[in-house]
Amino acid sequence: MDLRGIGEWFESRLQLGSLYRTTAGHPIPRNSASWWYVFGSATLVCFVLQIVTGICLALVYVPSADEAWTSLEFLNYQQSLGWFLRAVHFWGSNVMVALMTVHMIQVFLMGAHKYPRELTWVIGCVLFIATIGMAFTGQVMRFDQDAYWGLGIGVAIMARIPIVGTALVDLILAGPIIGAETLSRFFTLHVFVVPGLIIAFVTVHLRLVLKRGINEFPVRGKGVVPEEYDEEYAALIEKEGIPFFPDGVDKDIVFSAAVIVAILFCAAIFGPAGPNGEPDPTLIDTVPRPDFYFLSLFAVLALLPPQIETFVLVYVMPVAILLLFLIPFIAGKGAKHPADRPIAVLGVVLICTTISTLAWLGISSPWSPHMDAWSGEPTPVAYVEERSPLELQGAVLIQARQCRNCHALGGRGGQRGPALDDVATRLTADQLTRQILQGGGNMPAYGKHLSPDETTALVAFLRTMRPIGVPGAR
Amino acid sequence: MRPGSGATTTLLLAAALALAACDWMPGRPREQDRPRNPREITDFATLYANNCAGCHGSEGELGPAREFASPLFQAFLPDPALRNVIREGVPGTGMPAFAKAAGGSLMDPQVEALVSGMRRRWARPSRVDASVLPPYSEADAVAAGYALGDPGRGREAFQRACAGCHGADGNGGEEGGSVVAAAFLGLVSDQMLRTVVVCGRPDLGMPDWREPPPELRLSVQEVSDVVSWLASHRPPDLEPARGASE
Ligand code: HEC
Ligand code: HEC
Ligand code: HEC
Repeated sequence: MDLRGIGEWFESRLQLGSLYRTTAGHPIPRNSASWWYVFGSATLVCFVLQIVTGICLALVYVPSADEAWTSLEFLNYQQSLGWFLRAVHFWGSNVMVALMTVHMIQVFLMGAHKYPRELTWVIGCVLFIATIGMAFTGQVMRFDQDAYWGLGIGVAIMARIPIVGTALVDLILAGPIIGAETLSRFFTLHVFVVPGLIIAFVTVHLRLVLKRGINEFPVRGKGVVPEEYDEEYAALIEKEGIPFFPDGVDKDIVFSAAVIVAILFCAAIFGPAGPNGEPDPTLIDTVPRPDFYFLSLFAVLALLPPQIETFVLVYVMPVAILLLFLIPFIAGKGAKHPADRPIAVLGVVLICTTISTLAWLGISSPWSPHMDAWSGEPTPVAYVEERSPLELQGAVLIQARQCRNCHALGGRGGQRGPALDDVATRLTADQLTRQILQGGGNMPAYGKHLSPDETTALVAFLRTMRPIGVPGAR
Repeated sequence: MRPGSGATTTLLLAAALALAACDWMPGRPREQDRPRNPREITDFATLYANNCAGCHGSEGELGPAREFASPLFQAFLPDPALRNVIREGVPGTGMPAFAKAAGGSLMDPQVEALVSGMRRRWARPSRVDASVLPPYSEADAVAAGYALGDPGRGREAFQRACAGCHGADGNGGEEGGSVVAAAFLGLVSDQMLRTVVVCGRPDLGMPDWREPPPELRLSVQEVSDVVSWLASHRPPDLEPARGASE
């Protein structure tokens, strides 16, 4: 038997030829083989990369509360190239979330969610949520300070859901608090449940792409009319269809390769994330920061007044997600080209700006107090010199009462409240006293926690806080 | 050899090299960046910068609270008192307790690291004549045969040694602010006043007890006297903040 014979023996059993004709070889409109259409396939490639690196990581990772952290430390510092594996998995996840978002925006802008691809969009939304779920559970598996607090915040949100809230928390944490079994639960979710869901839904997603075809590149002034669309699309494929593989795939391959190179590059240059400090609920003076995809949520949580927070989290967010799913049913036909859909474009721009602004705020997070400023940020020397003994005591109390955790002096310290360097030009002694005793506007009232002498000393010191030659407020 | 196999070998080699080079890439976590449990830090510079610099100054001077950089102060303050102040703080003042057992965040080895580190950094025994140094606390002075502080004698000593700067009645003068303001006295311990009288605040221009010309200088007994006179300005209903050594 020669090679060809072996090939035919397998082919007659596996029948891959017809599989090829109905899958990779399916015809796509020539103009869809465009650089705009490469993000979906690249997201899938990222997912495969995540599976491969994830399997390697699972060989070492121990999903138990006492050992998870140590096993990551082992990967970082002992296992040769273990850090690189972690870094690739980390950057892969970041890039996957980013690409998926771009893919979604592109699909929406090109009107690809409209008839007959509504279900493709809905499944895509499921995949979006599942991927975010992967990101969240993955972050928790790092099981360091950030993970611990990230989970704490996530659970706090969930606990506020009416009626089922506490039951949900119990289900996820395997108890009311983050405990020994929490991590194995997250491990199961991250390694079996969610990836399984993703694989299943990706299969459906791809089948829909094959069956309903890839969206043709939108044309200005031409909308979708469901009654005519199928015929038009068939005619288009007939006239200028090319097989996805090998003719239409070149740009996807180039782009996916570039993405992989970028991931490897980031991994090599920037390295893995954490694990930073060992989780320890008694170390309260940490400033946890979530991975980037949750920064905007983190910012929302920190910015909203507590009364509105619950409402936004428990009602507004689910409604927003529901709306995302319903987009093709709300606007399932009509214009496709972005230039014909100004409102849709405006919506995308608005949402993107909001989310990136929030994320940026999340990075700088000016509202979170600097927990060790009081003992670690020296009082600027200029504010110590030429001060009376009483004023010096005021300066001590700015530190000792942890005002510094929210208020900067000389540019150092928390940013939650205004810097106090020239507060005396704004406020009189009476106003200072009132602000300190009664608080207000996100500042706690210190009335019950300060002795009259302490207040006197604080005000005496703060009254000196003005540039030389500028009179104090009167 | 098949044509092209050379290229394949080169590629494979390059890939292997790249993989090996990865271990020297900047992304590789370095041992020194390894996160440490804050409770395991026993390096003096870090401990001092994180816990003490806020009030005592980044270089041990020019903070709102006591200067550490003076060799005289390092000689004046005995080890047990230093350890005790760090552990328990000075109740009623801005000096917090740092020992874990007292509600702070430092473990015992960390307190020891601070004690020995402060000495290493600032103590200069050769520059201080310990034989003429007043005892650290008033109680130590009494134990050494000196009398309790007397406000009457203290007032006279203050007029002589301090009034030039702090004003005749202590209410503030040309060079120094009020040292008898009720709010000030309500926030500091007698021990703090005693330490200031003996060691001064060289960083802020307040002389230590040896500096003035001999005719103005305080005697060891007068140190206790001046402190008791200052303390006598506390409003009667106010409990004095407890001194460090009590
Ligand atoms: C939890 C953070 C926080 C802490 C701790 C805190 N503040 Fe504030 N502070 C604020 C905020 C926020 C504002 C702005 C209030 C507003 O918008 O009305 C503020 C305002 C002030 C102002 C008015 C500033 C101005 O320019 O109007 C003064 C004075 C002040 N704080 C003093 C203090 C002192 C003294 C302490 C310590 C005893 C202290 N704060 C502790 C958050 C804090
Ligand atoms: C929040 C401000 C603050 C911080 C932080 C602080 N101190 Fe103090 N410290 C004070 C004040 C105020 C006093 C004077 C207390 C008094 O009135 O007796 C003092 C007094 C002392 C004294 C006693 C001096 C004497 O008069 O005998 C020592 C020693 C000392 N501090 C060491 C430390 C060390 C070491 C640290 C860091 C671990 C530290 N302090 C951190 C405010 C602070
Ligand atoms: C050469 C001038 C001068 C003399 C003499 C002097 N002082 Fe001072 N004193 C100062 C200065 C300067 C300060 C720093 C605070 C200020 O400017 O008011 C100060 C601060 C103080 C403080 C507060 C220290 C702190 O850490 O908050 C006390 C208490 C004090 N002096 C007591 C005395 C006593 C008691 C005497 C006499 C034994 C005395 N001083 C003599 C200049 C002087």
